[in-house]
Amino acid sequence: MNRWFTVTAVAAIVAALSPSLSAQWPLHPQPGIPKGPEGKPNLSALAPRTSDGQPDLSGIWMRSIRTEAPGSQPPGRPPLATFANVGAGFKEGLPFQPWAAELVKKRANGLDNPDALCLPQGPLEYHLDPQPREVVQLPHKTLIIYESNYGLRTIYTDGRRLPPQGEPQPYWHGYSVGRWERDTLVAESNNFRGALTDQPGDGWLDGRGSPFTDALRLTELFRRVNFGRLEIDVTIDDPKAYTRPFTVRVEQEIVADGSEMIEFICHENQMFLKLTGRAP
Amino acid sequence: MNFKAAVVLLGVGSLLAGRPVVAHHAFSAEFDAEKRVKLTGAVTRLDWTNPHAWIYVDVKDETGKVATWGFELASPNGLMRSGWTRFSLKPGDVVTVEGARAKNGSNSANAEVVIVASTGQKLFAGSAPAQ
Repeated sequence: MNRWFTVTAVAAIVAALSPSLSAQWPLHPQPGIPKGPEGKPNLSALAPRTSDGQPDLSGIWMRSIRTEAPGSQPPGRPPLATFANVGAGFKEGLPFQPWAAELVKKRANGLDNPDALCLPQGPLEYHLDPQPREVVQLPHKTLIIYESNYGLRTIYTDGRRLPPQGEPQPYWHGYSVGRWERDTLVAESNNFRGALTDQPGDGWLDGRGSPFTDALRLTELFRRVNFGRLEIDVTIDDPKAYTRPFTVRVEQEIVADGSEMIEFICHENQMFLKLTGRAP
Repeated sequence: MNFKAAVVLLGVGSLLAGRPVVAHHAFSAEFDAEKRVKLTGAVTRLDWTNPHAWIYVDVKDETGKVATWGFELASPNGLMRSGWTRFSLKPGDVVTVEGARAKNGSNSANAEVVIVASTGQKLFAGSAPAQ
């Protein structure tokens, strides 16, 4: 077959399957991305480090969509959580206290889901939302800016301790402090609002409404295993809602093609209350 | 633009188009996946708004009576990452939309497929409610 005919036909098919070129979102590739021999980003290159020698978690991250059957994770590794169900990897499900299990049933209608209400999501919802998040690692704090629902977390790494429970006003995102243990950022958080406020949207760990309360002590181990991959092991220690602590893993992948965060003003044209009969 | 550049750009376009577009909301609270609608009409408005873009379409019934329907799409962010913009559809374009109707019985639905009647082009692919 004529070479030009082949190339033109392929281009025409690609064009037919693609949005118009003028419709593309502009890409702004960042400098310093390691490249492989073909010039593509080398995602398995070593993780970058800051000038003080710590791994640099900075970057825009998307959740991994990898899933696994319950109980199939390798020995010693926490099961993967999903946006819909952080307990998806446990054969026996989450160790709910009886009232928490009842609350999950009540939440099945989705009416009070903070994601739908444009309210701040729970910590694992933010980690697993399909929208990206940007980590900005600074000398004395690390910020995580979540594109979805106005999420902004500050993890203080200046040596301060967690405040006593109840001292600051309870936060949607909790109060977080972090420290480096070798190549792992250990972030601990307390002073969450939690489900017991009875306010819509409070205390959702995931899309089905697995609750957390103001007693939640959240521990997150952030580890950038290479340039392209971030692993976060999240321990939920909340004796009011669960009979024992449990740990799940979140996997995220770096955005290396130059696409960026996009403004997301969730209340701009919120139709959820109207469509569910709670607003005119 | 030279030919090589055009081929490269087309390739980039296809990669962007391949990104999944995901819905934002608790789908089942708003829409009934069993109540299917497939309607054709002229676009009157495209709201490129958060948390979802909406298109409004005037649909004529068999008696000639016109009803305006609203169809929810994915978020503008997700649509933009897949290569769509607020100019991808304009008032007056005739489209066929398939989706799931709102539980409240209003003329609203979540759009799963939007097809331009004159060209058959499928728009806003991926507006379905996957989370």
